[in-house]
Amino acid sequence: MITAVRKPFAEIAGMLAGREKVLLLGCGTCTTVCMAGGEKEVGILASTLRLANGKEGRTVRIDEATIERQCDREFYETVRGRVAEADAVLSMACGVGVQFCGEVFPDTVVLPALDTKFYGATVAQGVWAERCSGCGSCVIADFGGVCPVTRCSKSLLNGPCGGSQNGKCEVDPQSIDCGWQLIYDRMKTLGQLEKLEAVTPLKDWSTGRFGGPGKIVKEDALP
Amino acid sequence: MKTSVRAGQITTLLCENSGWKAYVEIGLDPALQGLDVQKIPCSGRVDAGLLLALLERGSAGVLVVGCPKDNCTYLQGNYRAEKRLAVARAALREAGLDENLVRLEFLSSLDSCRLRDAVLDFKRYLDDHSSS
Repeated sequence: MITAVRKPFAEIAGMLAGREKVLLLGCGTCTTVCMAGGEKEVGILASTLRLANGKEGRTVRIDEATIERQCDREFYETVRGRVAEADAVLSMACGVGVQFCGEVFPDTVVLPALDTKFYGATVAQGVWAERCSGCGSCVIADFGGVCPVTRCSKSLLNGPCGGSQNGKCEVDPQSIDCGWQLIYDRMKTLGQLEKLEAVTPLKDWSTGRFGGPGKIVKEDALP
Repeated sequence: MKTSVRAGQITTLLCENSGWKAYVEIGLDPALQGLDVQKIPCSGRVDAGLLLALLERGSAGVLVVGCPKDNCTYLQGNYRAEKRLAVARAALREAGLDENLVRLEFLSSLDSCRLRDAVLDFKRYLDDHSSS
């Protein structure tokens, strides 16, 4: 899933300065699961904004809604009328949802309430960790199912950098595992260590972020 | 949760296994009159959104009462309540309000006098800080 965390309240309040009717729009998919922008978080932020406005004597209408997904057009139909009434939509989706909401409602100001982080997995209750960088040409089959692009802080494809100690990355020895230690351990478990002797050629990064905005067209899904 | 809280009223969210039973024993005590009293299945049921919504609706303050530490009927409900109150307190600070408008007490079903004292202490605090 795409993970995110809520922006600092002061930043959100600053974005909303001067607005009189704001629709706080949650997303029922990724940001609900990572507990950043679902119905519950919408309620907490909306209450906090209303209490802050009340304290300051401001009369700002803060409405709340959560749709199933902000990255699919059809789910916006249920809130179309409420968006039309608002000065601005404060989206609690990832960056995809925020932008797409603006595409669905081109005349409406859409503001981000979250900082989008990464593609991650729920590794423990309340803990999410990055597992994929969306590079566009997956190589994990050659590395025991562990992604060197994401799990190695330096995205090295031909072995460790030499800066790790005790299985930990020098970038942050407290919290980051050495990606190449993970790759080695997993390939040893799978009996595939000999595959590591192969030299991985230069990776074509143009399939990902460095090739410009990505686009997928699936012919059989077109209308 | 259905609540008909009046402006300026203290809301108490009482765990049915501890605070509620303590309340039932001395519910007629004058110190406990005029409260918005809500029975909840466990203090762990409380979340930050509920606390903030109660304050928005006019509660002067919200007192959550759960079982004593390590003696929760559902094992960890009171610890969860503690974390969720921390979230509500942080939100109140962000809103520029007094974070102590929400309070958590741990007591057993036999602690009726402690419940009364907790309510009185909370009332005093809110009276003293009513302008913030």
